[in-house]
Amino acid sequence: MTLLLDMVTTAAILFIVAAGLLAIFGVLKIINFAHGAWLTIGAYCAVATAGLGLNPWLALPIAFAVGAILGGITELVIVRPLYRRPLDAILATWGLGIVIGQLITLWFGRDVQFTPNLLSGTVDVFGVGYSLYRLFAVAAALVIGLAFTFLLEGTRLGLSAQAVIMNEMLARALGIDTARVRLATFMVGTGLAALAGVLLTPLTSVDPNMGVAWLIGSFMLVMVAGSSFSTLAIACLVFGGAQVLVSTFVSPIFGGITVAVLCALVLRISPKGFARA
Amino acid sequence: MRNRTVILAFASAALAGVALATTAFAEDGPIKIGIPVGLSGANSVVAPSVVQSAELAVAEINAAGGVLGRQLALEIADDASGAAGAQKAFDSLVFQKEVNAVITMETSAARNAGLPIISKGDIPYIYTSFYEGKSCNANLFVNAWVPEQQVPPIVDNFIKSQGAKKFFLIGSDYAFGRGMLEFAKAYIEKSGASIVGEEYLPMEGSDWTAIISNLKSSGADAVITSTAGGAPNVTLTKQLRGAGVTIPYGNLAVDEGTAKSMGADAAGIFISASYVTSIDSDANKSFLAAMQKKFGAELRTPNDLSVPEYEGIYLYKAAVEKAGSTDTAAVLAALAEVSFVGPRGTVSMSRQHHAPLTMYLGQVKADGSVTVVDTFKGVDPGEQCPDL
Amino acid sequence: MHENRSTPARVWLFAALALAAAVIVIIGPALFDRFTLNVLTRSMIYAMLAVTVDILWGYTGILTFGQAAFFGTGAYASAMVLSHLGASPALMVLALALAIIVPVLLGAFVGWLSFGHGSTPLYATVISLVVPIVVTQLVFSGGVWTGSSSGLVGYSGLPLGLPGYFRLTGICLIVTAVVALVFTRSDAGKLLVAIRDNEARCAYLGLDPQRLKIVLTTILAGVAGIAGFLYANASGVVAPENTGFVFGTEIVIWTALGGRGTIIGPVIGAIGIDYLSAQLSGDLPFLWNLVVGALFVVMIILLPNGLAQLARMVLPRGNEQASPSGSPTLAAEPAGSGSEAGNRVLAVGGLGKSFGSLQVLQGIDLDVHPGELVSLVGPNGAGKTTLMRCLSDGTEATTGTVTIAGQDISGMTPDEIVALGVGRKFQVASVFDSLTVADCLRMARASRNAPSLLRRSATLGLPAAAADILRSTGLDRMLGRPVSLLSHGQKQSLELAMVVALEPKLILLDEPTAGLTKVERTTIGATLQKLTGELGFAAILVEHDLDFVRDISTRIVVLHQGKLVLDGSVDQVVNSEVVRTIYSGGAHA
Repeated sequence: MTLLLDMVTTAAILFIVAAGLLAIFGVLKIINFAHGAWLTIGAYCAVATAGLGLNPWLALPIAFAVGAILGGITELVIVRPLYRRPLDAILATWGLGIVIGQLITLWFGRDVQFTPNLLSGTVDVFGVGYSLYRLFAVAAALVIGLAFTFLLEGTRLGLSAQAVIMNEMLARALGIDTARVRLATFMVGTGLAALAGVLLTPLTSVDPNMGVAWLIGSFMLVMVAGSSFSTLAIACLVFGGAQVLVSTFVSPIFGGITVAVLCALVLRISPKGFARA
Repeated sequence: MRNRTVILAFASAALAGVALATTAFAEDGPIKIGIPVGLSGANSVVAPSVVQSAELAVAEINAAGGVLGRQLALEIADDASGAAGAQKAFDSLVFQKEVNAVITMETSAARNAGLPIISKGDIPYIYTSFYEGKSCNANLFVNAWVPEQQVPPIVDNFIKSQGAKKFFLIGSDYAFGRGMLEFAKAYIEKSGASIVGEEYLPMEGSDWTAIISNLKSSGADAVITSTAGGAPNVTLTKQLRGAGVTIPYGNLAVDEGTAKSMGADAAGIFISASYVTSIDSDANKSFLAAMQKKFGAELRTPNDLSVPEYEGIYLYKAAVEKAGSTDTAAVLAALAEVSFVGPRGTVSMSRQHHAPLTMYLGQVKADGSVTVVDTFKGVDPGEQCPDL
Repeated sequence: MHENRSTPARVWLFAALALAAAVIVIIGPALFDRFTLNVLTRSMIYAMLAVTVDILWGYTGILTFGQAAFFGTGAYASAMVLSHLGASPALMVLALALAIIVPVLLGAFVGWLSFGHGSTPLYATVISLVVPIVVTQLVFSGGVWTGSSSGLVGYSGLPLGLPGYFRLTGICLIVTAVVALVFTRSDAGKLLVAIRDNEARCAYLGLDPQRLKIVLTTILAGVAGIAGFLYANASGVVAPENTGFVFGTEIVIWTALGGRGTIIGPVIGAIGIDYLSAQLSGDLPFLWNLVVGALFVVMIILLPNGLAQLARMVLPRGNEQASPSGSPTLAAEPAGSGSEAGNRVLAVGGLGKSFGSLQVLQGIDLDVHPGELVSLVGPNGAGKTTLMRCLSDGTEATTGTVTIAGQDISGMTPDEIVALGVGRKFQVASVFDSLTVADCLRMARASRNAPSLLRRSATLGLPAAAADILRSTGLDRMLGRPVSLLSHGQKQSLELAMVVALEPKLILLDEPTAGLTKVERTTIGATLQKLTGELGFAAILVEHDLDFVRDISTRIVVLHQGKLVLDGSVDQVVNSEVVRTIYSGGAHA
């Protein structure tokens, strides 16, 4: 039972972390290698919120807003000139990640920061005591997934974004302001990343490098998932589940590289990953 | 030809590089102490407190007339907490700044990377960080603890006072994590208790889920962890508490500062250290007062990694005075014999270049402070370097 | 005859530069203090890595973070031999051998993993991220064998001393850089740029870009391993961070800042930044990283070609007109054996293609003989381009068979089909924008005449038919001109000449006249008629311009809604009722 819960909650956490990256990659076909930095920004928003004595839950909207605004600036200044050079975009965003990490270090210091827990304690699930927060993470992942599906299917922005995914030239010909769609998508993606940073604080330490550990895993999951949130959910369940199984029954050391290695193999066999129609 | 100009530019850039490489002069002024330390990277959390300790020691010694009439001067360099950075830092300190000794706290990778350079430059190196043990070099002295000194207080307490019989060990997959737990495992089994699980996660790993589930299902009645300092330690503790683990919890890698930043999650953790701020001695009280006076609001809480740095500089001073010069061979011979009474008590690196120490078993309170539960005097570091 | 005019000057310049560098390396120990020698020794080893990254990324377009893994594997292989076995001369040789062999094997595996048919550039980058992470993890869990996080230390290396190591690494770096410069400027080196520019075109010129990339990855893994061996010896310590992905990104940063695609730029970048960071990082560690990071972002956006680009912009320019490679002279190649008239070049039976449930082509039967010029017509969406794709890529068709020169092509990759005698010209001119006209044509001959690894040929050997196209379009006077300066029509003609230079039995042309002027169109038409009528090529032409089709075709095939509805002579088809209704938009046959 615990094993099953571990698998589902691990998948949920991976989903939360990767969602922002997927939003950007799905629409813009750009890998935001500063994704880890945005997770960190989000977590430091939680630190700052606590520092101001506000309710810790307020960190969620604050982080989303801060992440989106900084993302907007990044899109305009750094990413926009690089849409035609996707590999250079990886490098530029990686460099940006270094810069953000150093700025956070200069501002907050290297120390591990303290954040108040959003939810603590355990609950009984079918007779097993299980971390309440991990269960909450599943709910959070569902909310993010559903909200994003609604955004994509039910709003003008979402429909425009879908048009851009399918055929950018055509979308532009139809009068869609693709530059604006890209800006908005990038802002949503970075906002989600910062939000995920807040949601991670009860599970990890908050320090200037915290994001890097999550970057490669979410990057690989997004590569496998392609551009759809439902395939991302499947990928998280499959590979997150595999990670828990390997960690539990083989060795946590190999568990740590399970997601990356399995994703690489899946992509070798099927270059489009799970997105194959 | 366009290429010609480009090539000329490169050539002149190369020449400019030659001109830049000016030779440093050794002067007969102060005695220079090199401190390569992790200003960036994993150790950068603790590094500022180490530097403060060194600054206090040097200020005190200089105010009292220096060493053999010469002033002390610090040369600080960033080793980026790793091997590559340490090479640069040691190169710079030993061959460019030409320091008389290196006295510092570093990661094991950085220490190992620095040792060949120390040997080439042939100067004394006092290592002031606790570590997994058995690093031996004619120029190297260690004044901090090794597993043989740190593990027994916790294990003994868990078995005798808490009735623990089944231990679960969790560590980061690196030399310190494995080295500590390897010793702990042997010691626990020798003490008559059993090991029901031993798990490691990569140093940069942050998901302890499966390990914690294994811990919970193992029936263990005590857990001992030895992670990398900082982030992994905090992550593991948060997730252990999140999962509702309440059995006795000994943490071999937590310091008071980190415990404080973890807040309520750290409450109840047992630690074993050669220094805690609450040591009730005159030397410690005057040390803390001097630190407070010198650094005020900037003060970083002194800890088990920074206090040995302070004492290391005093030990070096004693050795130079005993040798009558900064000559390396004479100072190395003296280092094994001198002792210093500091905040941690009397310290002497007399045992195979390592130091017998007083160890304190502490428990973290809800406000992050550490109360001393038990004190063990003169704990021997054991056979670290039988050839020295 | 063998040297063109600009070659000697270039050779002398490189030689002078290499000599100057060698002099600095030899007398360096007398000039520099120990600190500088130590730092520069390490920087020069890093510079060797930057050269390998530059060849992979700057020239071939493969963004890789994986060189760190090969470097680390080489370093660890050496250090493990020296630590656990000893440092006798024989064991030193073993250490060097393993430092090359282990990374080479790993490189071959990584290459195989990264470069399959249809794998994307992004995927190769992904793998290059995963490999260092996995290798680092193995090092961490290696216990006493690898020293885990502490690394290995305290073994004895080559008995050279600091000046000796400085000279050894300096010479290794110069050799690496010179070999890289010679290779990247040779005819074979242009292949790398061709792959970067247009991989599909390479495949359709009968080259196997994926295999070439695997070979390149493997060799450069070995070079990185040698650098690792030097590092393990010179530094006396190896640590996990030497294999890590962060180190991999640093090498890329040095390469980018120095100027990718220049070899010398990355060398200067690596040495300069590593040296400066040794000087400065002690004083301002976070600020230093901040500055490097910010500089890197700015460079990628504004100066993608690094400081080398800046140097070119700032420094006064030399004679701009002299093209970097000079203009080779045309030389005739003996014509290959033509196909015998009468035998079928192409036989298609029951061909079908579907995307999911959408049936794009079904039941196509088609034979083509030498000397025929078959035009394929039909409205938009009829499946014409899909059919062309099925004929040139054996992995495309869903059902049916395609036989070329008697051989079934199912499952074959484009380059293998080119070897059977198929040349494909794309709708949008598919050429190599960074190369000159002559280099593009040389690529077309590369599968027959292996290009030199060392030198630039002064001649360009082409079959008469291809040379004729150049002459009739005036391209023969522009052999040294960069393709990026050609007009749209000239690019179309160049691509046709490249395809003809393959000496194919069958040429597939997808709307070769789209967007051309009337004059250019007539020229191409005449060329096609000559190729098929006089020289015995077979050709299939997709074309919208029915007048053009009527003028030059020997046969016309009509495709409509994925089916072949008519196959006959020009008169039969032009006058048929079916074609008229299709083109007037009323038919639902």
